[in-house]
Amino acid sequence: MANLKDIQRQIRSVTNTQKTTRAMKLVSTAKLRRAEELAKRSRLYAGKMNQVIAEIAGRIQCNKIGGIDNRCFVEIENPKMIDIIFVTADKGLCGGFNIQTIKAVKKLIKEYKSKNVKVRLRGIGKKGTEFFKYNEVEIFDSVVDLSSKPDKDRSDEFIKTSLEDYKDGKIDGLHIIYNGYKNMITQELHVDRILPVDTRGFNCENAEKSLLEIEAQDEEYMLDSLINRYIQYAMYYALIDSVAAEHASRMQAMDTATNNAQDMVKNLNIEFNKARQAAITTELIEIISGVESMK
Amino acid sequence: MDKLKLEILTPNGEIFNDEVISVTLPGEEGEFGVLPYHASLSTLLEAGVIDIEKKDKSIESILINWGVVQVDETKVIVLVEGAVAIRGDNESSIAGALEDAKKLINDIADSKGAIASVSARIESAAQRLL
Repeated sequence: MANLKDIQRQIRSVTNTQKTTRAMKLVSTAKLRRAEELAKRSRLYAGKMNQVIAEIAGRIQCNKIGGIDNRCFVEIENPKMIDIIFVTADKGLCGGFNIQTIKAVKKLIKEYKSKNVKVRLRGIGKKGTEFFKYNEVEIFDSVVDLSSKPDKDRSDEFIKTSLEDYKDGKIDGLHIIYNGYKNMITQELHVDRILPVDTRGFNCENAEKSLLEIEAQDEEYMLDSLINRYIQYAMYYALIDSVAAEHASRMQAMDTATNNAQDMVKNLNIEFNKARQAAITTELIEIISGVESMK
Repeated sequence: MDKLKLEILTPNGEIFNDEVISVTLPGEEGEFGVLPYHASLSTLLEAGVIDIEKKDKSIESILINWGVVQVDETKVIVLVEGAVAIRGDNESSIAGALEDAKKLINDIADSKGAIASVSARIESAAQRLL
């Protein structure tokens, strides 16, 4: 039977851990609410932006001989090098949140390697970056502090390299991998191909029906300007969505931890009581046998 | 009287969504006004001020740094990147909005020429409210 003092110490320690996990859960709940709100408002903008791009790109595609020739919209047949940007959290203790993203990244890298395509890995968030550094996977560049506090300017700055390299023809594709928010209890892993833009959704019928006039400027100039914002926005949205998912995931993990701690305290209490009773019994037997021997 | 539905969206959410009498937008090729039953068009906007004539005939100004607008007969949808509305219930909140607006103008580094005229316009918009 374990020592009474030891069990008591253990109970105290588990109770303290429980206090910490409960506090962390509350913090995540509060942060989640804010992040979720931001993501929801942002989604409105995303929808409209897609609509505008699809309409203009669709018009160019359908009305111009030879279709669209902006590099951002053309399927590249034999890609040589592609960019993968992954978004992970800066902190752990959030269940399988980071590892899911990392697994998806590894899978995509393998897929491209088997096709002899070079992969340039760009990381956001400390956890993912540390993982790949530890496993000696080459990372082109990385930033920390951005995934926990999404900031439009810094996100624009980060994506700029990829966007410019794509336009210059240095890379032939761009993927963003992140774990997005679906609801309170589930996250959804996104492996999105950002560049080249998927043109299959553009519909010529809609384009012809639209009464839209494009102001005097050149349609293509407008499209080019829009596409930059679109890509920047896709990056920013990935960050917002990821931060919401991170908090949801942490909230859940901490909730489970709190419950586990509670079970453990319960079991330890039972053990403690048993030990106490055993000690009392032993003492009684000692006294009784002492008295017996005196007779 | 016919009304025009105006929506102004930023990546961080909706900043304006209501029926209005008219709206003036800073198009890249020059400023233009939109009234109900305007022909459909879409164009880029440059850094400048959107003047909205609201239902109660008061004018609200919103500073933007870039945007794209889609106009059709009953609806105007403006997507902007950064925007500051010059509005508020009291002097200090108007002053706060003005401060934010000035910061946004300073961030727009590439169109130096426009800055002076834009800041003059937001100043006057703030004056009107006070």
